[in-house]
Amino acid sequence: MRRLGLAALAALAVVALALYPLEGTGYGVRVMLQLFMWIALAQSWNLISGLTGYVSFGHVAFYGMGAYSTAIVIVRLGWPWLPAALLGGAMAMVLALVIGWPCLRLKGPYFAIAMLGLNEVLRVAASYFEGLTGGGLGLSLPTLHASVPIYYAMGLTAAGVTLLTYVILTSRFGLRLMTIREDEVAAEAMGIDTHRYKLYAFLLSAVAPGIVGGLSARDQGYIEPISVFPLLMTITMIVMVLFGGKGTIWGPVLGAVLLFTFQELVWARFIYLHQLLFGAIIVTVVLLMPRGILGVLQQKYNLPRTI
Amino acid sequence: MPPILEVTNLTKRFGGVTAVNRVSLSLDAGRIYGLIGPNGSGKTTLFNCITGLVRRDAGEVRFKRRRIDGLKPHQVFHHGIGRTFQVIRVFPELTALENLMVVTTGDHARACRRAGELLRFVKIESLAGEYAGNLSYGQQKLLEFIRVLMTDPELILLDEPAAGVNRTLLNELLDAVRALRDRGKTILLVEHDMKVVMGLCETVFVLDHGEKLAEGPPGVIQSDERVIEAYFGR
Repeated sequence: MRRLGLAALAALAVVALALYPLEGTGYGVRVMLQLFMWIALAQSWNLISGLTGYVSFGHVAFYGMGAYSTAIVIVRLGWPWLPAALLGGAMAMVLALVIGWPCLRLKGPYFAIAMLGLNEVLRVAASYFEGLTGGGLGLSLPTLHASVPIYYAMGLTAAGVTLLTYVILTSRFGLRLMTIREDEVAAEAMGIDTHRYKLYAFLLSAVAPGIVGGLSARDQGYIEPISVFPLLMTITMIVMVLFGGKGTIWGPVLGAVLLFTFQELVWARFIYLHQLLFGAIIVTVVLLMPRGILGVLQQKYNLPRTI
Repeated sequence: MPPILEVTNLTKRFGGVTAVNRVSLSLDAGRIYGLIGPNGSGKTTLFNCITGLVRRDAGEVRFKRRRIDGLKPHQVFHHGIGRTFQVIRVFPELTALENLMVVTTGDHARACRRAGELLRFVKIESLAGEYAGNLSYGQQKLLEFIRVLMTDPELILLDEPAAGVNRTLLNELLDAVRALRDRGKTILLVEHDMKVVMGLCETVFVLDHGEKLAEGPPGVIQSDERVIEAYFGR
């Protein structure tokens, strides 16, 4: 009965979100589109870091990779935005393979730092290869009013990663990913090829950031190295997941919705206070509830991690 | 019958310390072996070399005639060697049942049945849905033990199975080990509790300072002067 109620509620939310662009203002649609983007990003970070415990401090690199791949094929080759964004996802996956293969052998903080370095390298590379990327001047995309279709594409991506997380978390594949977080040595000794599984998780966690990077590049119409490789974006993903509850299905969604709403409300009025509050949230979460909102509920009421 | 496990001149150094020095052992299928020695004598390192967690510097390990030294731990496991650890290594944020399911591949329903059987076998079936980290020390020890059995390995390495386990539980554990032997499994266990070693093992290897000091039936080992000297000094 409770399941039925929840399913009905979810269906209602989906219908409402699907119909929203018909009634909403242009501003409203773009705000929602960004919310979807954050859900997709947080959920993706959760796939690698929440499940395997390998903290990626440079996850925005995949977003930037997607943004540049998409923008380049749109500007230079005249591709339509949807296949261009999907290519962005594929390119992010290629990057994840190239980087993940060596870096996922690193443990703990070393992996986090390697990923941080990756993001910096890509940002510099984007400035350097002017012929392709436009360098520090950035790339301007041809004018196109497509916020509504991009809204749907973004929403589908967010829903897609959430569904993927559900499928993974309820399978033995997901359990194997979690054993890496729990005790990597024991996982190896119990027959789990940890390097391969980490790589799978890493590849899966790179696709959606690549796609949403491409979609936001199209939506914003202009990208530059600083705007698509900001460290702050990775940190925001991390905070959203930690706040909502890492390693759960709905934690990243909850974290993204709460923090993004909060950001939108406070950002407009108090730009400095906003950063201060954001910092305060990080400290509070880490100190008082390292498992996040859903993590706390999960432990207190012995709930499954599919919440 | 050729030995199921053959270790030849295995050597492992950590910096200037030779943890295992030219150790050779040979295990026949369907028997229980003990590995004893003072602290730091190289027992756990030997386990780690056999299971691939530590890369040996020299020597050979053969399992059913095939070389397994140089393989990764997960590959060694799939050859049919399971192990437990000296310090419990269950996956704390997975439930007891998930701890068992995660090591299986293939048919899900069959794995589920097997997990249920094993949980009943060690009488913790009521805790199947509980997170492993919430179980007591003894229950975690049992869980780790049955996790090894999930995939039915032919050789089982147990690192101090009796440590910290109460008498009643211990007797059940020992009966379980004997039952495995009777089903044709080979068991090699590291143990400090001499009563356990003497009552359970058919052959005992003694390590001291990384070298094999003696080998033989427990009765003989117990009165071996070199062994007594290694444990109590001259």
